[in-house]
Amino acid sequence: MPGRKRKAAQIVKLIGLDDSRLPAISKRMKLGLSADEMIMLKNYFLSLGRDPRDIEVHAMAQAWSEHCCYKSSKFYLKKYLSGLRQEYVILAMEDDAGVVEFDSDHVYVLKMESHNHPSAIEPYGGAATGVGGIIRDVLCMGAQPVALLDSLFFGDLKSGHGEGQLDQRFVFNRAVAGIRDYGNRMGIPTVAGSLAFDRSYSGNPLINAGCIGVARRKDIVRSRVTQSGDLLVVAGGKTGRDGIHGVNFASRSVSGKREDDIGSVQLGNPVTEEALTHAVLEAMEAGILDGMKDLGGGGLSSAVGELCYAGGLSAVVFLDRVPLKEEDMQPWEIWVSESQERMLMAISEKNLPLLDAILETWGLDHAVIARVKEGSNLVIEFHGETVLDLDLAFMTSGPIYCRNYTLPEKKEFTRTQPKEPADLNSLALEMLADFNICSREPVTRTYDFTVRGSTIVGPLTGSIDAETHSDAAVVKPLEDSFRGLVLTSDSRPIMVAGDPYRGTLNTLSEAYRNILVTGGFPHSVVDSMNFGNPEDPGQLGKFVESLRAIRDFCQKFSLPVVSGNVSLYNQNRDQNIKPTPVIFMTGIIDDVRKAIPSYFTGEGNSIYLIGNEDGDLSGSCLLHHLGYENTSAPFVDLDELSSLRKSMDALISNDVILAAHDISDGGLFVALAEMAFGRSIGASVDISETNGGRPINKLFAESGNRVLIEVAPEKEKLLSSLVTATIKKIGTTLGDRIVIENVNMNLIDVKVEDAKRAWSEGLSKMI
Amino acid sequence: MEGTNCEYEAFESFRRSGAKPEYVHIKQLEDRRKKLTDFDIIFFPGGFSAGDYVRAGAIFAARVKAASGRDISEFNDSHRPIIGVCNGFQVMVELGLLPGESRLEKRVTLTFNSSGRFECRKVFVRIATRNRMIGSAYVGRNAWEIPVAHSEGRIVLDYPESTFNYLSDGGNILFQYVDPEGNPAGYPWNPNGSYGNIAALSNSYGNSIGLMPHPERIYYAYQAAEKLEPAAGKQFFDAIVAYSKSL
Repeated sequence: MPGRKRKAAQIVKLIGLDDSRLPAISKRMKLGLSADEMIMLKNYFLSLGRDPRDIEVHAMAQAWSEHCCYKSSKFYLKKYLSGLRQEYVILAMEDDAGVVEFDSDHVYVLKMESHNHPSAIEPYGGAATGVGGIIRDVLCMGAQPVALLDSLFFGDLKSGHGEGQLDQRFVFNRAVAGIRDYGNRMGIPTVAGSLAFDRSYSGNPLINAGCIGVARRKDIVRSRVTQSGDLLVVAGGKTGRDGIHGVNFASRSVSGKREDDIGSVQLGNPVTEEALTHAVLEAMEAGILDGMKDLGGGGLSSAVGELCYAGGLSAVVFLDRVPLKEEDMQPWEIWVSESQERMLMAISEKNLPLLDAILETWGLDHAVIARVKEGSNLVIEFHGETVLDLDLAFMTSGPIYCRNYTLPEKKEFTRTQPKEPADLNSLALEMLADFNICSREPVTRTYDFTVRGSTIVGPLTGSIDAETHSDAAVVKPLEDSFRGLVLTSDSRPIMVAGDPYRGTLNTLSEAYRNILVTGGFPHSVVDSMNFGNPEDPGQLGKFVESLRAIRDFCQKFSLPVVSGNVSLYNQNRDQNIKPTPVIFMTGIIDDVRKAIPSYFTGEGNSIYLIGNEDGDLSGSCLLHHLGYENTSAPFVDLDELSSLRKSMDALISNDVILAAHDISDGGLFVALAEMAFGRSIGASVDISETNGGRPINKLFAESGNRVLIEVAPEKEKLLSSLVTATIKKIGTTLGDRIVIENVNMNLIDVKVEDAKRAWSEGLSKMI
Repeated sequence: MEGTNCEYEAFESFRRSGAKPEYVHIKQLEDRRKKLTDFDIIFFPGGFSAGDYVRAGAIFAARVKAASGRDISEFNDSHRPIIGVCNGFQVMVELGLLPGESRLEKRVTLTFNSSGRFECRKVFVRIATRNRMIGSAYVGRNAWEIPVAHSEGRIVLDYPESTFNYLSDGGNILFQYVDPEGNPAGYPWNPNGSYGNIAALSNSYGNSIGLMPHPERIYYAYQAAEKLEPAAGKQFFDAIVAYSKSL
């Protein structure tokens, strides 16, 4: 609003207004508050005996947004996930990221977040700032970020676009470019992730970005300030009008009118963030940070509020000192702006010169914007005038809803049985080229996954001219230790849509096996929950069922849930997305040099299948590929997975395994093919002894807790004593063809080269 | 400077090879808090200095030139090693350190990959000249595995054939991309479409080197796909440090 300089806050008339007129105010000011919440707000100010100023109303709206206070999900998160702790967890779901013991002196710090709504209307900026935000969440704990992951979900690339939507291919390309440009410029390797396509994501893509860092245990900086008299310094990017009302936007559905929402999208500048990272780590190294919080959703409003509230203190804010991009910003705009690359640091006054020097070396804008004080009220001054004076507890805690939900109807788990195709060879090649299965190389190749020199296994692995997918990435974060992090991020939305409880268990089983087959032991879980409208009891029921599965799984395997994210209102018009819990699981490997390859390492070795198969095609890529609507998900036997874990531990400690790969998307056939690709070594396989019924079930079912391993002939005699799970020999590594027989009948006979081509070309035309 | 981001692994590589590395920020040169001639080796790391939104490395080079142009000339004249990797290579070309002769200036340019995209992959190189710093570090294998990760790494020459011959005769072509057997080959072995498969250049004396591949990311065999000891990075840093100590 040019010409209106230094505009102080306006009074918003609530008192005396009829309750029926309150929703209109919420709408006009883009507050995103419900009628009931507006009444609570009015009553609060009634008790103070005055009307609020606009900045006060905006501050409350930020704090009470779904995004900031988890009002629809908090009750259920607490109910299901709060009991999942392990002694090696240092901070779980308290600060901006989880903190877990790595070795006796070090911790790893991790978090995953979604950035779905901004990406729907501006995929490049939305995805890029999603990466920027997750890096700051890890950085603000005082940790050096060491790896990035991303799980991405897009609409059907072949469908073009619906009315009012961006073209799906455009969204896909721009989102990938956003992640590439931000991650690469930050110099943090993007090492793992997942990518899936389904019609339900048209108009509401999901961008889940994860980050993991390491720190010395004693250097962890808390997201709270406990020293009265400390100064709060905002550093990094300037504050502008970009990203205003981002959290309110993220807490409702995408409207379909992009021009209404575009102002809510934040703009990213990775070079500022790269400098900020250096500066923050130098300040951390100097030991001068008493507390730190990244400025994300809700901007200063939520960062200052939460930093002080968590420490039982409050603050006086001098809002006119915030460095601005646009000088004529109104106080409320400054307070709620979600401009990127900003960090809030608490330090004592005597350390200010040192912090100033560090920030100036890195050319970063910075200013002291507040002083921490005792007392319950947060006060904001703007050019000497008090514009906000609110009880921090009332403001920050937010409402908690225990909304009604309905569970999916108890049902018979039905099995869909497609017709057996005449030509399995063609179907096999088609499946390899399916968007949900084919090579992710066109995407992952554009991410720098070797920067920092600590990536031991990246997204692509194998001989240099024949790479295949890895199961999990392996990162060696410390110079003086061979201990490594094993990272995977998985989702099974088709299965979860079929049955949220079983589907989520399948997701967890896959993540768990990805870590086992890489040679690690699973250590912690981060959940990034992407669901539809929580005001729809059926949608909320799916969320609750998914949480129940996470609890049951993590209890069974003694795994802590250390941080997480909930994104609701993912829908386009009235269509909810497929419920999509993303599981970012971290494992530990004692020695990164012992990481197990996901590809056949030599000819003449034996191929074994561990785990039972039941041939259930529910939720499989095959049914999705053939156009069946899925209504079910396979049963997961957690006792069997436990037995698989013990067997893998024994096999690994006896050096029996040459290579291992889990069976997931695309079933046994795709798993065999991916193992063949990594060094262009074929296989001769006979599946007569496997269960599962008809050939397509045996080849393409994704059910069960199965893995394939490659074993040298001289080690085979050890298997019977080491493996307690079901194990069967199914073939031999051999030649340059993948040949699969079943009861004396040849099912598949393809050259590795041809299979590889089909797999490689799947996505290459789309990017 | 901001956007430079391969300094950690470069720092560790020098340390492992017995040097005592130190980070120097461009601002410290500008403020005269540090002086380049106080050091024995200069290493320009990779990354996206200033975001690379202008020509890659151009802003970094301009700032270095303004702050320490004379120190760099002095450093180079004393034949101390100056190394630039990836974005650092681009900086060295911008600074005129590479190929390093006035008559070659502006005849060699680094530009966008032929594939038109950023590519992170492992490639093979072989040594293409005798270099007084590298010495015999890369004998015994036809092809050395090394990572690349860039979008602007294609070397183009003004008059391809004649300039290539000139560079080749002058010993300026240090590494070339090859296939696993050590033969010149096209994409993806040559990941960016560089003319004559040029992967690295040196000046004629051999003390200034610019590479697109990243030796600092492959110091140990366990960082490699082929797991062969010794890895290319260790050979590189050991040789540079040994040369520096011999001065």
